[in-house]
Amino acid sequence: MSGGAAGQAAIIGIGATEFSKNSGRTPMELAVEACEAALEDAGLPAEKVDGMVTFSAEQNFEIEVARNLRVPALRHFSMIPHGGGAACGTIAQAAAAVYSRVADYVLCYRAFNERSWHRFGSGVQERHGGAEAFDITFSWTSPFGLLTPASWVAMFATRYMYQYGATSEDFGRVAVADRLHASNNPAAFFYERPITLADHQDSRWIVEPLRLLDCCQESDGGQALLVTTVERARDLAPTPAVITAAAQGATDDQQAMRSYYRDDIAAIPEMGLCAQQLWKSSGLGPDDIQVANIYDHFTPLVLPQLEEFGFCDRGEARHFLLDGNIELGGRLPINTNGGQLGEAYIHGMNGIAEAVRQIRGTSVNQVQDVEHALVTSGTSVPTSALILGRDG
Amino acid sequence: MTNEDFQLDGQADDTAAELTENQTAEEKAEFLAILRAQVGSTGKPETARDRVSEPVIRTWCDAMSENNPRYTSPDSAAAELNGEVIAPPAMLQVWTMVGLRQGGTAERRVEDTPSAGVYNLLDEAGFVGVVATNATYRYDRALAPGDLLAGTQTLVDVSEEKSTGLGIGHFVTTETVYSDEAGSRVGSMAFRILKFIPGTGRKPDGGEPAQQASRPQPATNPSTEWFWEGCRANELRIQACGDCDGMQHPPAVRCLSCGGADLGHTVVSGRGSLYSWAVPHYPQVPAFEYPLVVGLVELEEGVRLVSNVTGVRPDQLEVGMPLELHWLDSEEDTTLHQFRPAVPGRDPTTRKPDELKVGNRLPICPVPLDTLLIVSTALATRDFQDVHHDPVAARSKGTPDIFMNILSTCGIVSRWIGNWAGPDVRWHSIDLRLGAPNHPGDTMTLSGSVTTIDSSDGGDLVTVGFDGTNRLGTHVSGTAELGFGPDSGGDT
Repeated sequence: MSGGAAGQAAIIGIGATEFSKNSGRTPMELAVEACEAALEDAGLPAEKVDGMVTFSAEQNFEIEVARNLRVPALRHFSMIPHGGGAACGTIAQAAAAVYSRVADYVLCYRAFNERSWHRFGSGVQERHGGAEAFDITFSWTSPFGLLTPASWVAMFATRYMYQYGATSEDFGRVAVADRLHASNNPAAFFYERPITLADHQDSRWIVEPLRLLDCCQESDGGQALLVTTVERARDLAPTPAVITAAAQGATDDQQAMRSYYRDDIAAIPEMGLCAQQLWKSSGLGPDDIQVANIYDHFTPLVLPQLEEFGFCDRGEARHFLLDGNIELGGRLPINTNGGQLGEAYIHGMNGIAEAVRQIRGTSVNQVQDVEHALVTSGTSVPTSALILGRDG
Repeated sequence: MTNEDFQLDGQADDTAAELTENQTAEEKAEFLAILRAQVGSTGKPETARDRVSEPVIRTWCDAMSENNPRYTSPDSAAAELNGEVIAPPAMLQVWTMVGLRQGGTAERRVEDTPSAGVYNLLDEAGFVGVVATNATYRYDRALAPGDLLAGTQTLVDVSEEKSTGLGIGHFVTTETVYSDEAGSRVGSMAFRILKFIPGTGRKPDGGEPAQQASRPQPATNPSTEWFWEGCRANELRIQACGDCDGMQHPPAVRCLSCGGADLGHTVVSGRGSLYSWAVPHYPQVPAFEYPLVVGLVELEEGVRLVSNVTGVRPDQLEVGMPLELHWLDSEEDTTLHQFRPAVPGRDPTTRKPDELKVGNRLPICPVPLDTLLIVSTALATRDFQDVHHDPVAARSKGTPDIFMNILSTCGIVSRWIGNWAGPDVRWHSIDLRLGAPNHPGDTMTLSGSVTTIDSSDGGDLVTVGFDGTNRLGTHVSGTAELGFGPDSGGDT
């Protein structure tokens, strides 16, 4: 989203299915239900929708979702690549579309059965044997047994621990905060099931140095968000969540999940690029953010994200996590829906919905006096981030 | 691990097994009493067939890859100490080994060595399998060419019948004191062996190993085929730019430094260090052995690549540890690069006592085990037991393949500790406890650390705790006592 679009668009509708381990219905049903819920939340009839943005990983294509919703005409449709890195990117491109008058009302959505149909965490062991460039990228890792998202992220985590002295317990504090927040959230899969740091330390290895409780869930569910201009949003019932800034980022020698060949792999330069853009186009800084949804597919990469956005210095996130700083009532409560460890793994889209609720003042873990909420998307892939703010 | 945990697989020897199964408690007690009749008795001094000599030392050093010049080179031997070549302390037991007697098993006379009678009785009763399980060597002085040793053995103990991983058996413990021609004591050995009935051991869990599934195979196209061709030729090729000499991995179609399209490759050294790692535990894929170590290796040429790191436990991994390349033939037409800890070099200078601290780690040392190593070290230690060189004989005695003898384990561990400590360290003792056998095709990885430093007598008596692990478990664990600095009351 260019600087011109900053502050010009808003999220006006949010809708989700229940989050579960077995939805009992098809992903297409989940996608349509989530979109219907977002439209109902906004009070917008489906025939007004003229744009759709989703992930390139999405299997419920926009034409079939539009057909089910009886959307008569789509003027803008696009797909954002690279898995969970796409989440805020869908909003960024929807905002750019409505700002540039390519479309008026754009639905952004993601829906899947990534627990009951295909276990997302099982990785790529039987895939990518072809000769296309994307297949080839797996040749440098799969024959050596690096086959799952957890294994790809573990390589970054080990190096981060080495460079900055972070420990498994530091990662565990992220999990504890997520599950604490989830315990208050009836929509969260882990509602009323908080964990302690000891629980985290007792949980088994998935890929050292990642324990079970460092890993997000695999979930069934769908989440949709409706984007329009701030002007149009004011005509609808909900409180607009203004897209103060949104940005995507990919940087030097970028690889999908496995950018192992850069000078420094304990940093996340693509997230740094997003941060620079957000601060520049919004004129805001870390002190202006009251609540954040920091992408948490795996806890270790929450730490360098806090550093990329300047909430603390490089390598200092383990100190920032102490004293409840990332829990409700702390300096920067994160993942107040429970995050992807506690609420559900909907590829980051549910985190954007939580930021909307924080702006509206309707979160189950409402932070007081929220002016601006930060949301980040998947790490170790080309990624995206956004800031939501109040209207006026 | 305890001695009862030997993990060797056995083949059935029903007759002997039935024999002991059918014995009553009284019969067993009676047999044990006969076995123990000589416990406490001491035999006559047995004089070595040959004097300590340079050729035997050199052969032993060659087999062990021992390069300490004190053992082989009079010119560079530490003149201020002995001014002559000395024998590696780890050879203490070698000098009085009986050697090869053609035409039958070498026999010792019962009246000279009290253990011989026990062994004969056990052989007759079906306990024909034999492995050494413990050895503690104490070194009173260094040996030099010309020394002629005699060993005097005492039978210390015969255990009651034990059920071990290898089989049902008895542990026999002896103590041998070594002396020179003047009658002065030069060292001693406490030795424990297990005599067992082949085929009576515990079977490994799960029965027959499953057919090994294949790993995910690398996908290739004309832009990357040269890399995998290189692997098949055991060359690690890294893409290099013909215009700017920049190197890059994974390969691309342009130089990432200068944009050039004239891309070739360089065959790199295969030396590198560990930059980061991951240890997958779950989900487990049948093609791999777990725990699986996947490393991000930084080559000395400055390029990183992902590879397995073998021969090392996850808890031994350290960022920066030196690694060296080796190869895995994964499928008939796929060879994969692998790395393992680099064999640490020999430190030409002896460590200063004040540099040592409790907790100091010795460099991890992989010992690739092949048939040549196991056979050549057995012969260089003058151990002609067939289980150390004859696979058919080894299988008939209940082990799946030949295995390393304890004298070789002692030599290899001593070489590694000596390379770390330096050439002029004084060896006081080494204590070895054996477990999982070293078979060909495996790798033993040695690791250890300084456990105590005793400076009470002016010198520094340093204890190193160590273990060597292989695919089956812990092959050896133990301690070594070394004297550093002046007047450590050692072996001079």
